Amino acid sequence: MTPTRTNRKRAGNALTYILLLGAILIWAFPVLWVVLTSIKPRTDIFTNPPTLVFLPTLDHYEAALNTRGIIDSIRNSLIITVVSTVFAIVVAVPAAYAFARLRFRFKTHLSFYTLFMQMAPPIGLLIPYFFALNRIRLLDTYVGLIVIYLSFTLPFSIWIMITYFLDVPKELEEAAAVDGASRFSAFLRIVVPQVRGGIAVTAIFAFINAWNEFLYAVVLTGPETQTVTVAIFGFLGASESRWGPFTATGTMIMAPVVVVALIAQKQIVRGLSLGGVKG
Amino acid sequence: MAESRDVLVTATRHVVNEQSLRPGTPGRNRLRTQESRFAWLMISPSLLVLLLVGTVPLAALVIMSFTRIDLASTRPNAFIGADNFIRMARDDRFWHALWVMLVYTVSSVTLQLVIGLALALALLRPVRGQGALRVAILLPMILAPVVVGLAWRTLILTPDYGIIDFAVQALGFGSQPWLTDARWALISVITIHTWQWTPFAFLVFTATLHALPQEPFEAAMIDGAGAWQRFRDLTLPLLWPTIIVIVIMRTMIALRAFDAIFSATGGGPGTATEILNLYAYRVSFTSLTLGYGAAVATMLLIVTAVISVMLFRLQARD
Repeated sequence: MTPTRTNRKRAGNALTYILLLGAILIWAFPVLWVVLTSIKPRTDIFTNPPTLVFLPTLDHYEAALNTRGIIDSIRNSLIITVVSTVFAIVVAVPAAYAFARLRFRFKTHLSFYTLFMQMAPPIGLLIPYFFALNRIRLLDTYVGLIVIYLSFTLPFSIWIMITYFLDVPKELEEAAAVDGASRFSAFLRIVVPQVRGGIAVTAIFAFINAWNEFLYAVVLTGPETQTVTVAIFGFLGASESRWGPFTATGTMIMAPVVVVALIAQKQIVRGLSLGGVKG
Repeated sequence: MAESRDVLVTATRHVVNEQSLRPGTPGRNRLRTQESRFAWLMISPSLLVLLLVGTVPLAALVIMSFTRIDLASTRPNAFIGADNFIRMARDDRFWHALWVMLVYTVSSVTLQLVIGLALALALLRPVRGQGALRVAILLPMILAPVVVGLAWRTLILTPDYGIIDFAVQALGFGSQPWLTDARWALISVITIHTWQWTPFAFLVFTATLHALPQEPFEAAMIDGAGAWQRFRDLTLPLLWPTIIVIVIMRTMIALRAFDAIFSATGGGPGTATEILNLYAYRVSFTSLTLGYGAAVATMLLIVTAVISVMLFRLQARD
């Protein structure tokens, strides 16, 4: 190889690295900046130029958790998210198995029906929902929000679980059938354990979507059931801007999702490509 | 990523192509009936829930769009025929919201495609540190859009104290009204959405590019085709199906955007960033005119359906 070619290759490599670094910075920075701000002393937050060297503190977390309603809102978010996730999985897994493995009439139509339900605009569901819940006095209750969360967790869970059931070898169920096991017990004892990983991934996505949800929550909850994505707005009112507690709460909202992303990176990518996050 | 897209395609095909309930021997038929009964048992809980939380509300929405339901006034609810839609046709704010939604969707999806593809091509060579990038780009897609939108509004775009405003000042362009000037605000929310979702295009393009056959490219190199020519005549046509899939998935998401805009600008200043979702929200839950809100949301449903049918046709043609 001639010297000029080596040089050009080196320059190309250097450029690639600069680009890579720039890309990492662009996408990670806003998130890191939220986390950094949450541990900055108050006097170091509003500075121009921005401060990078400071003595870390947990004051803002204390302040956030001592703010009325924040701890309650985290509890509300957890309850609503966990219950709707579990419910979605329990209902979706058998349905996905049927779509992946069994023959029955109207299967095609029904599968497209589930797909279509995933695409319906949320505001379109919310308006009649609000009207109905208002009538039957179920506004500001867990039940109201948990039920409407199924409208997005359930269709997606069915579709992602179908892909996992298709990966299970058919021979397993046939062997179970020879053993004389009933269909349902074969499904429960033989097939379900095979898709444990898939169920975990599906649950992760249902959890992320429900945990991050805002539009339904802001309309359908009240003082009793407010979720944390709604409560966080309280720090950034018209009259005050409490960046410290805001970023601390923001970090607490992001933390579980970031942990999951680090553990199950590959599976998250697979779920994303199936349309797993609402955005 | 490409592999998992194929999984979805296989899943759809599998569900669609399988012939259900072909006639067979009597014994077989009995088995089939059993199978069918079991299948219905398995799917009925899901169907029941979807019917209850999806179909019934959508039907109710359409019915509500022909009514006057005004929770802020004492006037009784009433069927008013097409009045809401006539009002909508004359409502400048509705047309403006529709326009903003289209500008927002088209420009952010285009930007995601262009930047995503450019970045995927530039970073195609395996270098160390790509693992870090893979983690970094996942974040904007899975973190709460509300937190993202609020962080942009405060830490990033606040005049003087926001990091972008600081950088722009340092470069000598002076502080800008990122979220308080009508034109800048629209650019800002489009930027936020593009930032959030370009990683998706990047991931899909990277996976597809790695899976492309090498022979045509080697042949073109031997024939002396330049880099641009190879891109235009080989890469782009080979990527076409992927591009369409990305456009479909991203358009669907852009059309239902709400959280990030709501938290970054609240639709403002004025109505500068008020997309149709936000307008329907304000009509329904700020003014509490649910009937008219339902009409706007029905329109949104129709627009979404028309766009998705158009996009799926485009995909089917290939």
